[in-house]
Amino acid sequence: MNTHLAGIFPRTGGLEARRSTTLTLTLAFLALLAVAGIVAGIHSLVVGHEHTFGVSRGVPWGILIATYVFFVVISTGLCIVSSIGHVFGFKEFMPIAKRAVFLSIVNISAGFLVIAFEIESSWRMVVGNVVGANLTSNIWWMGTLYGFYLVLMVVEFVMLQRGRHGLASACGLAVLLTGIAANSNLGAVFGLLNGQWFWQGPYMPIYFVTSAATSGAVAIIFYTVLAYKVNGWQMSEAMKQSLHSIAKLAVLMLAIIVFFTFWRTVAGVTGSAPGRHEALLSLLNGPYRFNFWAGEVLLGLVLPLALLLVTRGRNVNVLFVATIIAMVGMFFMRYDLVILGQLVPPYHGMGLVDYPEFYTYSPTLHEQLVVVGGAAFCGLFFLLGERFFRGHLVDSH
Amino acid sequence: MRIWLEMSIFAMALLLQPLSHAADKGGNQAGEPYDEDTYGPQAPTVWVKPVKSVIFEHRVHTMDAGLDCGSCHDDLFEMSSGAAAEKDDFTMAAIYKGKYCGSCHDGSTVYNANTRCTTCHIGVRGHQRLERAQAEKGRAK
Amino acid sequence: MNDKDVQRREALGTDRRQEISLLERRALLKLGFAITGVFLGGSVLSLVSERRADAAGAPAIGGYPYNPHYTMVIRERHCIDCELCKEACVKTNGVPAYGYRTTILEKRRALEEGKFETTFMPVLCNHCNKPPCVRVCPTTATWKDKTTGIVGIYRPSLCIGCKTCMTACPYNARYFNEERRTIDKCDFCFASRLSKGEKTTACAAACPADVRVFGNLADPGDRVYRLLHAPETMIWVLRPETGAVPNVFYVNT
Ligand code: HEC
Ligand code: HEC
Ligand code: HEC
Repeated sequence: MNTHLAGIFPRTGGLEARRSTTLTLTLAFLALLAVAGIVAGIHSLVVGHEHTFGVSRGVPWGILIATYVFFVVISTGLCIVSSIGHVFGFKEFMPIAKRAVFLSIVNISAGFLVIAFEIESSWRMVVGNVVGANLTSNIWWMGTLYGFYLVLMVVEFVMLQRGRHGLASACGLAVLLTGIAANSNLGAVFGLLNGQWFWQGPYMPIYFVTSAATSGAVAIIFYTVLAYKVNGWQMSEAMKQSLHSIAKLAVLMLAIIVFFTFWRTVAGVTGSAPGRHEALLSLLNGPYRFNFWAGEVLLGLVLPLALLLVTRGRNVNVLFVATIIAMVGMFFMRYDLVILGQLVPPYHGMGLVDYPEFYTYSPTLHEQLVVVGGAAFCGLFFLLGERFFRGHLVDSH
Repeated sequence: MRIWLEMSIFAMALLLQPLSHAADKGGNQAGEPYDEDTYGPQAPTVWVKPVKSVIFEHRVHTMDAGLDCGSCHDDLFEMSSGAAAEKDDFTMAAIYKGKYCGSCHDGSTVYNANTRCTTCHIGVRGHQRLERAQAEKGRAK
Repeated sequence: MNDKDVQRREALGTDRRQEISLLERRALLKLGFAITGVFLGGSVLSLVSERRADAAGAPAIGGYPYNPHYTMVIRERHCIDCELCKEACVKTNGVPAYGYRTTILEKRRALEEGKFETTFMPVLCNHCNKPPCVRVCPTTATWKDKTTGIVGIYRPSLCIGCKTCMTACPYNARYFNEERRTIDKCDFCFASRLSKGEKTTACAAACPADVRVFGNLADPGDRVYRLLHAPETMIWVLRPETGAVPNVFYVNT
């Protein structure tokens, strides 16, 4: 057993993580937040969402689904950027490959952690997904594929750690395909719901995969720079060059998302599938206009794009700021997508009295704790990963 | 120029104020205030038996339709809120036969009670709305 | 219907509107709907809100895939919102205070002189022929019964509570029952009544105004069949544009 582990955890080489009381306290604090989130989540399962969550009959999916989407889209994205290097052999993407694979595992685990509390009887999934497998259900495909994805991802990571590069990249290809299939099924969960016109449409799975690539590029820059800053490491030229290349990818992907957002908005405003129109208006000029203009457009797209373009993606500090901002913006995108899709009531526009023309939803403390817990879990394992895997250095072969 | 316009609009609003007030008191559109001695109780009668909830408003019948008290009291109805609901035959069947409201709502005097159900039947929802409005009025006072 | 059709129809004048153009007939047949006496072309549409106007949904003789093909016909204009149906449903099926299997909505239509007309609109699960909720269930906890066509949660122990069916339902007919830890919804009282030999649902039995008529659409002798195939009847369904093919019909008789 010990020898097996020894193969995975490098004893020497790589980068030595800083050991300071601040860092230890940070780790403890993150662990505490994660535990608080888990306790809040378990409490909500025991007592029931009716009494603890802001979700309702009209808006059954709340901030936890949005957070789940946020995390798994990042995970899929990290898998995509890692595979560019170690599956398809682009040298410039090599230096971040191991970190990306590891964080991909961490992010999807955080996603699973969060959604386990949104699914009210999630423990039944273990049996239910096998006994009751419904091949027409996108949720089934998404869950099952992401399950395989996680397992394969761990195998891939172990192979990478043990230097079995051939096996690792074969595994990487399998993970990539599973991840993209899972991710596009997640898009289809939304896109294939007739009657929920804000979501409905075949572009949804494509949008999800595009978002994944964007998130992955942004997230790996963010995490890498953060790791180096926290531990006071010196960045090698190869790593700088790598980040520069990923920044270029990020710019391209962000531009595509701009394009998508623009045309979705125009199509929603001019055409008028009932429901899509109202939801979009609430985004542009209604209760969600702050989320949209400040969150999605400014933080998610305009500022990061501007920062990356102005510095041509070479200044590491600017890269860091740009990617933090973009990550926050992306959270707004996921939140608005999930919540707004449900806010137009099914019988709106029929001249009903004492019937909401628009549902409302706001997360409760329980939900917020779980979200923060998920993020803390992510941060905790990110820091631990840097320490135990010594900066995820990739040996040049 | 603009300020004059705004001021005149404001002045007009002030002038119209008493009118809207009258409507609030339950008067008709012409601004005549509702007088309970002439027209009967202002508060609507709402029955919840045998079914929830049916509304009767004196205003519609006396002030608006010009009926006098004698056309209903005391042949058809007693002058006591809820009395009719105690009777076993306070049902649509009896109304269709010309009793109670049916003596006028028969399709020849005024519209038939077997049409436009929701004019009388405000239902649970209408009743709740009425109570909410009354509670709000009470709080405002 | 394209612009030309509209123009031609307008040229025909109101009294001939009941005739359905060949074009439309063909379009509808393509959709799988035969034209029946109950279908009154444009006038059917006038009762649904304009933006939901859609002819799909009128039942076609011979087109009932189930037997008994359980159906509810709602004689909407008779509804007085006494809510005895809701009370009966709650009592019969143990529905908690925070949920409902059926409820009553209230429509308002403007009349002249600032007056308005109220219509109460009972809603419940439409037991769709193409139920979107069933497709999305990851664990097959819910399905549409092969003989009765009733959409139910037949294996509640498999319901994981992902609530996708709630977001998928075009009618908001589902809710999560905390006590039973499963999605709950109208099953046309199959578990509580029909399976025990009763012939109708609790809500239909409780209705004093004969608004809810429950029966077997596949049986020409059944009242729902007769109601839906009587001449000069306007029939409409809710949200036909979702393509769910619902089995709760609203009529103006
Ligand atoms: C169209 C029929 C009709 C007319 C006309 C009518 N009423 Fe009534 N009135 C009723 C009904 C119905 C009730 C409720 C009886 C019941 O609940 O059993 C009632 C009840 C009353 C009550 C008792 C209600 C309470 O809140 O205590 C009073 C007092 C009354 N009417 C006075 C009048 C007077 C005064 C007039 C003439 C100005 C009048 N009514 C004209 C139908 C009428
Ligand atoms: C004495 C005759 C008479 C009786 C009895 C009577 N009504 Fe009326 N009702 C009228 C008349 C006249 C009108 C006015 C009709 C119109 O404006 O077209 C009217 C109008 C109404 C309206 C307003 C309808 C609308 O257009 O909005 C309601 C509601 C109503 N009646 C309810 C009742 C109820 C409930 C009862 C029994 C408790 C009742 N009426 C008994 C004569 C009567
Ligand atoms: C003119 C007023 C009026 C109209 C119009 C009217 N009702 Fe009623 N209805 C009453 C009154 C008054 C009662 C008895 C009071 C109660 O139940 O609260 C009643 C009671 C009932 C009841 C319970 C008693 C019974 O007969 O079983 C039903 C059911 C009912 N109405 C159905 C209808 C339907 C359906 C319509 C339309 C076709 C209608 N009503 C139209 C006034 C009216």
